[in-house]
Amino acid sequence: MPPASLNVTYSGRKGPMLGLALKTGFLTIVTLGIYRFWAKTRLRRYYWSAIRPGGIPLEYVGDPLEKLLGFLVAVVFMAFYIGVVNLILMYVSFALLNGNVAAYLLSFAGLAPIIFFAQYRARRYILARTRWRGIRFGLEPGAWGYAWRAMVHWGLAILTVGLAWPLTTLWLEKYRTNHTYYGDLRFVQGGRRGMLFASMKHIYYPLGLSAIAGGMAAAFENPAWIAVFVLTVPWLVYGLAYWRADSFKRLTEAKQLGEMRFRTAPRPWTIVGIYALGWLLIYLVFTGLMIVIAGVVLAAVGGTGFDFENPEQFEPVMTAIAPTVVIVYFAIFLGYRAMTHAWITLPIAAHFAEVTRIVNAGDLHQITQRDRDEFAEAEGFAEALDVGAAI
Amino acid sequence: MTDSPAPPAVFADFVGGDRAVLTRVSVRLSAEGLDLSPPDGKTLIWPWAELRAEPDQADTETLVISRSGDRLSRLYLRDKNVQAQLRTRAPHLKRRDRAISIPRLMAWAGGAAASVTAIIFVLVPMMAAQLAVMLPPEGEKALGDTTFEQIRMALDETGLVGTPICEAPAGNAAMQAMYDRLNPASDLPYEVQIHILDHDMVNAFALPGGRIVFFRGLIEQAETPEEIAAVLAHEIGHVVNRDPTRDALRSAGSLGVLGLLFGDFAGGTIALFLANQLINASYSQSAEATADDYAHDLLDRAGVSPAALGTMFERLLAEHGDAEGIVAHFMSHPQMGKRIAAAQAAVVDGRQYGSVLGASEWRALQSVCGDAPKGQQDPDLPEKKPWPGSD
Ligand SMILES: [Zn+2]
Repeated sequence: MPPASLNVTYSGRKGPMLGLALKTGFLTIVTLGIYRFWAKTRLRRYYWSAIRPGGIPLEYVGDPLEKLLGFLVAVVFMAFYIGVVNLILMYVSFALLNGNVAAYLLSFAGLAPIIFFAQYRARRYILARTRWRGIRFGLEPGAWGYAWRAMVHWGLAILTVGLAWPLTTLWLEKYRTNHTYYGDLRFVQGGRRGMLFASMKHIYYPLGLSAIAGGMAAAFENPAWIAVFVLTVPWLVYGLAYWRADSFKRLTEAKQLGEMRFRTAPRPWTIVGIYALGWLLIYLVFTGLMIVIAGVVLAAVGGTGFDFENPEQFEPVMTAIAPTVVIVYFAIFLGYRAMTHAWITLPIAAHFAEVTRIVNAGDLHQITQRDRDEFAEAEGFAEALDVGAAI
Repeated sequence: MTDSPAPPAVFADFVGGDRAVLTRVSVRLSAEGLDLSPPDGKTLIWPWAELRAEPDQADTETLVISRSGDRLSRLYLRDKNVQAQLRTRAPHLKRRDRAISIPRLMAWAGGAAASVTAIIFVLVPMMAAQLAVMLPPEGEKALGDTTFEQIRMALDETGLVGTPICEAPAGNAAMQAMYDRLNPASDLPYEVQIHILDHDMVNAFALPGGRIVFFRGLIEQAETPEEIAAVLAHEIGHVVNRDPTRDALRSAGSLGVLGLLFGDFAGGTIALFLANQLINASYSQSAEATADDYAHDLLDRAGVSPAALGTMFERLLAEHGDAEGIVAHFMSHPQMGKRIAAAQAAVVDGRQYGSVLGASEWRALQSVCGDAPKGQQDPDLPEKKPWPGSD
């Protein structure tokens, strides 16, 4: 019989993640994107296996070839949709609206149901390929139901300029969670309608204050109001981290799996710190590289006696270094992605995992296996639309 | 040390995949493989050749072992000594068992390729041709405005400010005089706007909504104003036939499909490709022939010899040779000879043809970008980018 309370430990480390992200990213670029199915699978295996509730790692068992197959299946259908719809949207946007901003919004609205549909299907695939203690997770079919609900709730959030976002988040989380299974046991998302509004308080307050301060500054030209206006920016940054931590806590602690409950306590300042440190490191790496490259270029130019006074020399030089420029472009792209994984995504995952624990887990051993969800399309649609999970 | 009769057993966590139960099994190494004995006594034997280690695991202390053919069972092995034994004695520890059959993958790959080909080369061009004719003039103009700015940005080597437009009033007035002389207004639903861009490229092209773009390189290459008038007439032919609109709609559809195939493996590469595609717009051979025919008529009506189109092509061909031309205009190039012949055949016997611009206007046009007219140039300048075929 398992212990009543299970802590979550995290065993992912930044160095190995940086190495893995660089290696898989490089292979993705040299194979013109084909390796991306393997790259994503390998990163997921690492991220999943790092999370260990009760000391046993989660396992991601997705197969890259299955992802490739799913992608090909999606291409057969989506190529038609994307080709024809893009063309028609372009036509409509220029025929009726002369290509203004409304046209882009319209084209997004046209794609939105498909995007929500694809996201739900991708979640179904990912959960179907996730295991813990040898038992599969699963998501019941219901992608169209999710798509229309998401349209309604997002519409509400947009109409209220984002003020109703906590309600949107809760409703959609309820739909997703209540369709999620671990083995034969279904998750239940509890929580009353107003539950998440308090999580947004550090976003509402600075926004309100900045509106007042901005109005006052415009009316009275008093520098104090401008100072207040500027000071609301760091408050808002804290507010975003607070929202992330507090909404996660409220949602997680209102989730039920049979008799099991979850306790968690993510800290907003830790989240702010992880982002600040991550971006600082990325900034330092790129600045350092720029200095090194500038030094090398200057040395090379000094060696050949390049004449800065004669601008006509630039053109052949530009032609000569064009391949280098392409390589540098890919290197920056690749390096940025790998560093984001190692210094932001991974520490954030680590923090959320380490502050979470499962309580009342005494009946865990009674949970039985669920059937394999075959699902030939895998994440193909989300992959094709480029709206899949970030990892 | 492996030939001792009963090596000491170590313990490891084991999951069987039917219930979320963690079993503590004793692990013994034998000649056949791993002997796993759960407390209830029924020993499992996992043969050496069937042992697999899960890859990309975050926790380097634990080896997650599975058995080929058994999708669910896992052994979480922490003992360093046994791990080392496994690495030397299990021959296929790193092998991955494939669940997807290659013929099935190939079938879908073939389906995807067929679908994409049919959409890019049949469906999208057909729809684009239909919609281009239906697009109202205001819509075409908006489309042209957007693409014009994109092209200016794409051609600027710094990518920041856009290629400058040559503003000299006298030169632009000369260009306008040339247009008025050709007087195609009756064929067009909108005014034609002619821009001269300060760029070395020897090229000109038409955009949707009646914008025609000349590059300084082309104006410098021309020996007589009639040659410029011939190119202008040819581009007006494209505008009258809606070729640029059709092409823009077509590339909106087909680039969407290409973006689908490549995913986001390199960020904005697709956008660069789009701009490039627009500049090198290669219309079908019949579209070129139709534009040529239109140009011949227009020139003849304006009293300018249609042969000028031929002389321009001929000289560009002679100066820059074949190789570059084939790269630049793969599709239209083989017809070059035919097009020159057609231009000469369009000359009406016995008719008197005049010149399209006076000498001072022609000089103004040649120095529209503020440069010295041709002939006084510095002979040390780098070779102009050859770009014959001016579409
Ligand atoms: Zn042409």
